[in-house]
Amino acid sequence: MKFTEHIDPGNIKLGLEGQRKDEVIEELVELLVESCNVSDADTILDAVLSREREGSTGLEKGVAIPHAKSDAVNKLCIAIGISKDGVDFEALDGKSSHLFFLMIAPTNESGPHVQAIAKIVKMIKIDRFRSKLLKANQPQEVIDAIESAEIGEI
Amino acid sequence: MSNGAHPLRKILLYIDGSESAITAAQFAIAIAKSYESELRAIYVVNEDLLDELLKVKIFVQMEKMDYERDLEEDGKRYLNYIVKIADRKGFKVETILRKGVVHEEVSREVDEYGCDLLIQGELGEVLSLRDSFYEEGERILRKVKCPVMIVRGSDKIEKKYNEM
Repeated sequence: MKFTEHIDPGNIKLGLEGQRKDEVIEELVELLVESCNVSDADTILDAVLSREREGSTGLEKGVAIPHAKSDAVNKLCIAIGISKDGVDFEALDGKSSHLFFLMIAPTNESGPHVQAIAKIVKMIKIDRFRSKLLKANQPQEVIDAIESAEIGEI
Repeated sequence: MSNGAHPLRKILLYIDGSESAITAAQFAIAIAKSYESELRAIYVVNEDLLDELLKVKIFVQMEKMDYERDLEEDGKRYLNYIVKIADRKGFKVETILRKGVVHEEVSREVDEYGCDLLIQGELGEVLSLRDSFYEEGERILRKVKCPVMIVRGSDKIEKKYNEM
């Protein structure tokens, strides 16, 4: 599974405006509406917020991976957002989150979703990878960094 | 190797839901039918990966169980599909669904079934050395103690299969 096959510049927002967890998730879901042919953004938003209520997907080192399954998509959809200021995402280490990977999978096929999450979990452990994303000035730089991480250049 | 002079009495087919697994299945059915071999298809729910995602707190317990059920259903669907396409060619395929560490479960099945050949689809694109340690097809290839056939060339195989 190649992660970059699921993203394009339209799925990436470098300057997230949201100051709160729910606002950031809403911004990310909006990115998917056009780029991923989402039929019902509210359903996705509800699914992600509901999942967050079970436990935050804010990890350590400023990364969060909100995710859910929904019938509103017919393929794995990924949105990436970067917040320079950081947002309180109730992360494990109590620090602000800056890098957000929203993943929505169709309900009838979980395999690619699980693989995509596992892949990003591996990438975000690399300090240089996170640093490259935070310094990105264009969405394409984010894609390039992910591609480099996938081929082991970072 | 299983008993008897026939070198391919039992064939195990590993499937993972990918398109290349379908190609491998077509080829496995064709070979098994030609050699009158037994054919068993295996799918493994990657519990190891789910446990890892639970450990790093990406999944909560309930969610992990939910995904496990999903992957099990996916596996049953893939296995049923193999049975169906084999049936169309007048051939019977046994199926088995296991849960655990994928390459270890496939290796265990190779030993327990006593197969003479393991067939699997084209290996996933290994983009880095780091990746190769996690690619299940690669790990199976290294782990199992029997001959392994990697099936490539989907167009050619599909054409031949349709002519069968």
